Amino acid sequence: MTNAARLFRENNIIFVTLACCLVFFLISPRFASLDNMSAISRQIVPIGLIALGQFFVVVSGNIDLSMGMASVFFSIVLGVFFGMTGGVAWGIVAVIAGSVAMGVFNGTLVAKLKLPAFIVTLSTLFMATGLSGLIIPRGQQIFLIGPFFRYIGAEKYFGIYASFLFLAALFILAYVVYNHTRIGSYIIAIGNNEENAKLSGINVNAVKIGIFAFSGLCSGLAGIILSARMGFVQPGLDGNGLLMDGIAAIIIGGTLILGGRGTIGGAFWGLIFIGVINNSLNLLNVEDVWHLVFKGVVIIAALAMNWVLWESRQVQTH
Amino acid sequence: MTAATLNTEGQSPKKIQLNTRYMFLIGLIVVASVGFSIANPNFFSIANIGILLRSISVLFLLSMGMTFIMLTGGIDLSVGSNVAFAGGVGVVVLTSTGIPVLGFAAALIAAMAIGFINGFFIGKLKLSAFMVTLATMALARGLALVIYDADSINVTNTTFLWLGGTSIGNFPIVIPFVALVFAALCVVLYKTAYGRDVYAVGSNINTAFLMGRQADRTVVSVYVLTGLLVGIAAIITVGRVSSGQPWAGLYLEFDAITAVILGGTSLFGGRGKLFGTILGVLLYGIIINGLILTGTNPYLQSLIKGLILLGVVLIDTISQRRSAQ
Repeated sequence: MTNAARLFRENNIIFVTLACCLVFFLISPRFASLDNMSAISRQIVPIGLIALGQFFVVVSGNIDLSMGMASVFFSIVLGVFFGMTGGVAWGIVAVIAGSVAMGVFNGTLVAKLKLPAFIVTLSTLFMATGLSGLIIPRGQQIFLIGPFFRYIGAEKYFGIYASFLFLAALFILAYVVYNHTRIGSYIIAIGNNEENAKLSGINVNAVKIGIFAFSGLCSGLAGIILSARMGFVQPGLDGNGLLMDGIAAIIIGGTLILGGRGTIGGAFWGLIFIGVINNSLNLLNVEDVWHLVFKGVVIIAALAMNWVLWESRQVQTH
Repeated sequence: MTAATLNTEGQSPKKIQLNTRYMFLIGLIVVASVGFSIANPNFFSIANIGILLRSISVLFLLSMGMTFIMLTGGIDLSVGSNVAFAGGVGVVVLTSTGIPVLGFAAALIAAMAIGFINGFFIGKLKLSAFMVTLATMALARGLALVIYDADSINVTNTTFLWLGGTSIGNFPIVIPFVALVFAALCVVLYKTAYGRDVYAVGSNINTAFLMGRQADRTVVSVYVLTGLLVGIAAIITVGRVSSGQPWAGLYLEFDAITAVILGGTSLFGGRGKLFGTILGVLLYGIIINGLILTGTNPYLQSLIKGLILLGVVLIDTISQRRSAQ
């Protein structure tokens, strides 16, 4: 393989994203305006948190289906505490503690009892959906107004949204942990072959529980950001759409859904790609009804492209 | 060596395990029915039993397809969206031509087309079933929204509504129809070489390949078969409410997966029976229908679904580990 081909294969998502940006810019020059760029950066923060948490789960060979509805649930937890106390401190403590606890619950069932992650997190998805509607009076919304929500939703440093800077910092932290600590190689080892990982002395259970605790925490953080951006909370928010965008971002970024392979950089570019697509569909006045069609086609195209580039002939599971 | 000897020789402990599971499920169904009939005396009326069976007939068809797919070790997240998409195609063809047969054919072909896309990517290209069907889940729902322009369409053609909407007295005709489908699927799965291929692929795709079976074709076919069942389910769905809805079948894939797992089919392929799926669908349907009938908050229903799924899988794992020791 020539160097150019290898460069394209390993960084295809960057080229594809830039090509899409160019096309959208040519169709609508407003796309490249500074305002629109910062709008994209703010829109992708909740998806980015889901993608980051999901990334480690997927590399370890698991899946966390609960992340989307869990973030809706935790945004409501924050709203309920805000409604009761008028402040955010207790709400944030509750969200962080609750989301980590949920993650540890998922992780323990997956690691210790060897239950399939798909089923465990499907059942927590059901429970999060149910609890979202039960802790808030039926048909009601809670409005979130105050300096904290304004800060999370609108504060900028050097023209960049604080929430995006927070996300970027988390990605850099994740990059360091994944590439420059033993934890990263443990996760890859578990995703490649759990038995071998165990035999080589890795505490597989602890790593798995940690991964799910982190994905839980990411759902909680996404819930906080979501509530601040919307300005209100209600159980009907489309959490599963958020989950799908997050999974799409990391898969488009070259993460293998069966585990064992993936890069943080790829996940980040996949996230930018999803953000650009979401934004452009709105910017180009594509009718709402077409959005899901585009998303489906984009994911299938990404899968097909990865198949062509990597000739991935992995044995299917689910 | 035939597959029949394989079944009788190695699997008798598993068979006993499955039988205990079925007894357990039947017990739970009885307990749930008695509980709900105490809470609401109308629960056991003939009319309600008819409504109950009719409302779970769609879930039943999807779960049958899902059982075949999960026996091969796959999963299909697109079935719920596909119900809306196939229904939409059928209704639009019906209203534009006025010929019910064309409407039926269009719905079945549309649903099988989505099934074929799934099967092609999963069986031929060996892509992850989860990812492929996640994409077609979005695609089919999106296409449904486009077809309906996000609004429902009323259907008045009596022939098109016949299957889902007709009752003789209090007895919906969809029930014997679904029973017929079940009998046909049992013959396919247990009495044909194709059925043995489905189990072989799920037990070990490489061994199936070595035995000279066309494993990839079998995988493609189970997704197309599920598409066919989804198409029928879509026609019933339209018939039940006399209109086509763009959001029909929302999250029905999760319900179907839950029902199949309740019925004892393994998520990893090769193990499970259609009879178990019937019990799973019945139990799930009775609980959900009972909760609706007793006026339970829909969010509480969702919570209960989660607890049932987790509870059954936990009991499963613990009992399997006991019997392994």
